[in-house]
Amino acid sequence: MALEDYRSDMEMCCRCSICKFVPLEKLKEKQHSYVCPSIARYNYHTYSGGGRMGMGIAMLEKELEYDEKLLEVVYNCQMCGACDISCKYAMDMEVLEPINEIRIKCVEDGHTLPVLDSVINSLRTQGTMIAGSKARRGEWAAGLEVKDITKQQAKVIYHAGCRVCYDKDMWKVAKDAVKLLKVAGIDIGIAGESETCCGGRAYQMGYEVDFLNQAKKNMEMIKKSGAEILVTGCADCYYAFKVLYDKFDLKGNLEVLHITEYLARLIEEGRLKPTRKVNVKVTYHDPCHLGRLGEPYLHWEGKPVPGHIRIFDPPKEFRRGTYGVYEPPRDVLKSIPGLKLIEMDRIKEYAWCCGAGGGIKETNPEFAGWTARERIDEAESTGAEAIVTACPGCEQNFRDAIKENGSGLKVYDVVELLAKAIEKGGH
Amino acid sequence: MALKRELYQALEDVVGQENISEAAVILGSYAQRGRPRFEAVTLPKTTGEVQAIVRLCNRFKLQFKASSTGWGAYGDAGGPGVVKLDLRRMNRILEINEKNMYVVVEPYVIYAQLQAELMKRGLNCNITGAGSNCSALPLAAHQGIGHLSVSGSYGERNQLALEWVTPDGDIVRAGSLGSIGQWWCGDGPGPSLRGIIRGNVMPMGGLGVYTKAAQKIYHWPGPATFPIEGVSPHYRPSQIPPGFMIRYISFPSAEKLSQAAQKVGEAEIGFILMGFNPGMISANIATNNNEDLAYLKQFTESVQGPGFLIIMAGNSPRDTEYKKKALQQIIDEHNGQPLEAVEDPQNAGGFMWRFIRVTSSIREVARASGIFAGEVGGTDVFPLMHQYILRSSPVKQRYIDEGKLLADGTDPFVQSVEHGHAGHAELLIRFNKQDPESMKVAGEIAQFANKTAIEGHFGVPGHAWGDAVHNQYGPHTSNYHKWLRKFKKTFDPNAASESTNYITADD
Amino acid sequence: MIAEDKLAAIVSAGNINRERATLEEFSRDMSFVNAVKPGCIVKPKTMADIEAIVKLANETLTPLVPVSSGPPHFRGDTVPGIGGAVIVDLSGMKKIIRVDRTNRVAMFEPGVTFDELIPAVAREGLRLNMPLLPRRLKSVTGSLLEREPVVMPKYHWDIGDPLACVEVIFGTGDMFRTGAAAGPGTLEEQWTAGGAQKEAAGPSAFSLYRIIQGAQGTMGIVTWASARCELIPGLEEPFLIGSSKLDTILEMVHWLIRLRLVNECFVLNNANLAAIIAKRWPGDYRELKDALPPWILFFNIAGYEYLAEERVSGQIVDMTEIAQRVGLEPVQAIGEVSASELLKAAQRPSGEPYWKLRHKGACHDIFFLTIYDNLPGLVDTMFDEAKAIGYPTSEMGIYLQPIVQGTNCHGEFNLFYDPGNRSESARVKELSERVITSLMAKGAFFSRPYGTSTGSIINRDAATVAALKKVKSVLDPSNIMNPGKLCF
Repeated sequence: MALEDYRSDMEMCCRCSICKFVPLEKLKEKQHSYVCPSIARYNYHTYSGGGRMGMGIAMLEKELEYDEKLLEVVYNCQMCGACDISCKYAMDMEVLEPINEIRIKCVEDGHTLPVLDSVINSLRTQGTMIAGSKARRGEWAAGLEVKDITKQQAKVIYHAGCRVCYDKDMWKVAKDAVKLLKVAGIDIGIAGESETCCGGRAYQMGYEVDFLNQAKKNMEMIKKSGAEILVTGCADCYYAFKVLYDKFDLKGNLEVLHITEYLARLIEEGRLKPTRKVNVKVTYHDPCHLGRLGEPYLHWEGKPVPGHIRIFDPPKEFRRGTYGVYEPPRDVLKSIPGLKLIEMDRIKEYAWCCGAGGGIKETNPEFAGWTARERIDEAESTGAEAIVTACPGCEQNFRDAIKENGSGLKVYDVVELLAKAIEKGGH
Repeated sequence: MALKRELYQALEDVVGQENISEAAVILGSYAQRGRPRFEAVTLPKTTGEVQAIVRLCNRFKLQFKASSTGWGAYGDAGGPGVVKLDLRRMNRILEINEKNMYVVVEPYVIYAQLQAELMKRGLNCNITGAGSNCSALPLAAHQGIGHLSVSGSYGERNQLALEWVTPDGDIVRAGSLGSIGQWWCGDGPGPSLRGIIRGNVMPMGGLGVYTKAAQKIYHWPGPATFPIEGVSPHYRPSQIPPGFMIRYISFPSAEKLSQAAQKVGEAEIGFILMGFNPGMISANIATNNNEDLAYLKQFTESVQGPGFLIIMAGNSPRDTEYKKKALQQIIDEHNGQPLEAVEDPQNAGGFMWRFIRVTSSIREVARASGIFAGEVGGTDVFPLMHQYILRSSPVKQRYIDEGKLLADGTDPFVQSVEHGHAGHAELLIRFNKQDPESMKVAGEIAQFANKTAIEGHFGVPGHAWGDAVHNQYGPHTSNYHKWLRKFKKTFDPNAASESTNYITADD
Repeated sequence: MIAEDKLAAIVSAGNINRERATLEEFSRDMSFVNAVKPGCIVKPKTMADIEAIVKLANETLTPLVPVSSGPPHFRGDTVPGIGGAVIVDLSGMKKIIRVDRTNRVAMFEPGVTFDELIPAVAREGLRLNMPLLPRRLKSVTGSLLEREPVVMPKYHWDIGDPLACVEVIFGTGDMFRTGAAAGPGTLEEQWTAGGAQKEAAGPSAFSLYRIIQGAQGTMGIVTWASARCELIPGLEEPFLIGSSKLDTILEMVHWLIRLRLVNECFVLNNANLAAIIAKRWPGDYRELKDALPPWILFFNIAGYEYLAEERVSGQIVDMTEIAQRVGLEPVQAIGEVSASELLKAAQRPSGEPYWKLRHKGACHDIFFLTIYDNLPGLVDTMFDEAKAIGYPTSEMGIYLQPIVQGTNCHGEFNLFYDPGNRSESARVKELSERVITSLMAKGAFFSRPYGTSTGSIINRDAATVAALKKVKSVLDPSNIMNPGKLCF
């Protein structure tokens, strides 16, 4: 697909502004009613989903040149999809897809931001999106007794992801994940040093070719391993494997699970039994690419039916966030004795983004921090002691923001809380 | 045409570097829909900044146009030489006075936010029919009539004190605000300046900028938050709160509908009364266009004729019981028939909340094809407004038969205002905007509507704006256009307030 | 000055009055404004007459003062501000043009009084939302144009209600019809189409009726008005509540109106209620006043066509629950005063003599708009000022009328005095002028400024004055319409 293929979607935008707000049926108070960090921060309509639709049309019409301001607007977006979901409450049109295609077009036309180039360079040369990291990819798994899928067959592959591999603070979560799966008797393996980036964030940044290269590499390795299931603790990776790989017909029959989905399943089946009390009041943050963007890709090929209403032959279904992964992480948390879960105002399909996505952590760390601070304030307003999430990108961004601004709020991954609740031996 | 550097610098001095832009990407996105570009977009935060911008535009002989969320096309520039005031940073609820039943807001508070805050306090507001995604400033909408208008009136009549930056840059604080600094009355001393600021319709950007306003609010007998469950787009309440009830009743004729609506008004039992047609009901519940068409067929086949949707909300069990019984009597007397799909427990709660929160106008007008047009009546006695709009139904049918419009039925929608003391009606048309024949239809229907109003003596409809149309109506209507023009000229001597959707001072 | 023959050509000589006694009558009223003698009084019969008079006045720059009510006048707005004015006396224009049951509206000329209109609309099962006991010769149109508060807050959606449309001759001499009456079409053509001249707003993007209301005749002369009407109830149950606690009473008032439980609803102090009810003077008045509690809330619960009894009995239960919650007791009579009797009184104009004049022969009203929260403080302020000047507070009448469905409250202090007693008059005059500033400081908004205090009220806000002058420059550029009033 190209940007031109989304022209009719972009032309559907009527500028109703619901892309800027949580779904209005769910709006319970004025505070925490914005859903788009980009326009919330920068205020011009241009930064909203609707504004980007107008921008896309103007680009197709060649009314805009590539200048600093255009690139600043294009890249000051976390690609969180909140605008897309809010819009699709009422409309039958794609919003996030054309926003992504705008970036792809920028890259194709040779216009991005220098810092993104260096990130992609790291991907091309070292297979990681974390430029300049000194750690080795497989170091996190040192001491972990687990199959190496490049040498042995395993039914399930655990994909750690770049953000885990190159951040020592996240290694424990990945280790806990693997240990929990082993305790549950899962035949699990990892790629370790041979693991390579899923390519998901490269796609979100507009580097479609690099994404596809990574996707092909990953699928080749997975096929060789004989694995039927890929499980990951990173929402970006989850989205890449489950949705993007499927979009480009690369996923095949691979079942992709987020670690929280798998753990919830195992708890329900009685293969994991959380028995130790973890006395903590927490609030759960839905990662964008696990929650609203985590529902399966819908393949469709057809054409519009001529007439006065936008319908297609065959009928086209839109991904509206209805089937995102919302309950499994909550089910895991609720299974932990002593843990109290309090919800924030913006949750599930209308969760406020952590701030790190879409390349923002790299291109505009101030904006990433601002976005995270908004979320931390929201979490604190619930009275929770901790914010729990299910993505290393979110966790890292929250931790950085707390460090910079000071807050008593703790940051946990769902996995590490469950690990605390499982007796040694798991039962 | 780039702004003179001196003006740009002056504007930047007013709002700060971050809050003004003339970058092509910014101007391009504000000009979507093929409208002319603004010369610059500004984001003022205070009334003082708005005043300064307005004065600068006057001085440098440019025009300005302010808007909030900006759904309506009247927020756009009519031509070159216009500076945009995007009021997004003016987004505070300034006061909610529960005892005295009024609220004060800035322009970028939207109705969903306001209603949510009011509901927590046992209060409610009329939300403009365009939707709760629109500004809660009663002066921002085209008319401000809404779903609640049968019991909660509308913008023209809910207006209390206001703060107005006039086209030449004065600040007028109308009513009690100017006199004693309180917000609850918009009238006096002496004559009320509300009379200049708006009529049935607003000047839509052509008479300065409204920076704060107070409005009447109403009792809310429901819960602090409506118990909504589900994931988008399938929301519904877990239960319908006690005392609330929703029905859709169709009638054998438009006349019976009108009579029944009058009786509902006189009995004072309606909380929401909207004469939606099957097309609007189907668009409301459907979560995609295919579903919409299926429901449209189902509902069209299920009704005996035009109908209305009524939501009742009792303030006590006795009140609820009285309203329920009185409604049933009225239905029986007028041969009404319920549309069971609306009252089905699976659907009733969802319908109810979408109508109370006014979230589905977008589905109704924009999902089909991204564009809509039609006829917007004025506000006048219910039977007259109803009769007026019915004149256009055969015309719509003709265009449907010619394949130029979406076939969504020809019943207009009518609504009751202030328990039937007034009514309002509209005829919606939806069509493919890529089809030039269809685009022409909008103009043809407008022309027919204007001819009907003038020759049939149906008043000045809400869709009448702009010099040409005012010139068409004026000579038949007490030459109002001449007076409107004089006020425009007097209050806007430099023609600084962009007036495409109002009137200009040019004779 | 308009030449006699030119005036006679319009209204005929018999309708021009220059008699000394009549000129004297119009040169002053019961307010404290300075006496200014008019040049003559003319009594037009038709809109065409008035149009011609105004055009003529423009040619000669003759001030015009429209008057529609008969005497006594109280506000000073009908006393010319400038000598040599022509009083345009509309009190003889008494046509009731139309009463429309379906659309609940009536249309009438400016000379029609409440006593004349009430039975006409009642024949159609309709009634007006009326002010409290207007005087016998009070013009309905005059009352509507003055934005007088009305006794049924439930039906007072907007401060302009129940006024709908007007036909007006602006100061320029142009005729204009406001709202739906503007057209398209003549009135007859509109009626044929189903129009009823009921929609007040418009046409299009202005609502000039709001400019004419409150203008004290400074914008033009109204030749007819229409007003929205309500239905006559099938069943009514009135109640009284007495208390010494004003804030508790106001809490009750808030909920009665908020829940739309009541039609008529207002608060009087004992002095005013006694003045309204007393049959024999001064005996009854004193006895009643002394027996009544300081504050009396009156309200009426009503039912209409559908299930009237069930509705009324349900609303009485709901009302009683509120009363219990706030600690008040609704009754049907307090001593000699019955709620039914007060209801009957409130649905008619005052008997003769006008109730405000019964006590001492004169009354000066100080009235303003405010909100519930401000009222107790305003009463205290008024009492303090009255005491300071030696006016006995126990003699003062107080009337509190919630309006605009409870969003505003009209507050009124009635200063009764003997007009023949110079020191009493002087005291009341002084009090009425000096109390304005302190009341404003406590949240009184003088939305309808009259008489000698007008300047001090209206000039507080220069921007509003500037805007009003702009409006005036459009509608009456020659300033012939009642000059010297408001800020003109």
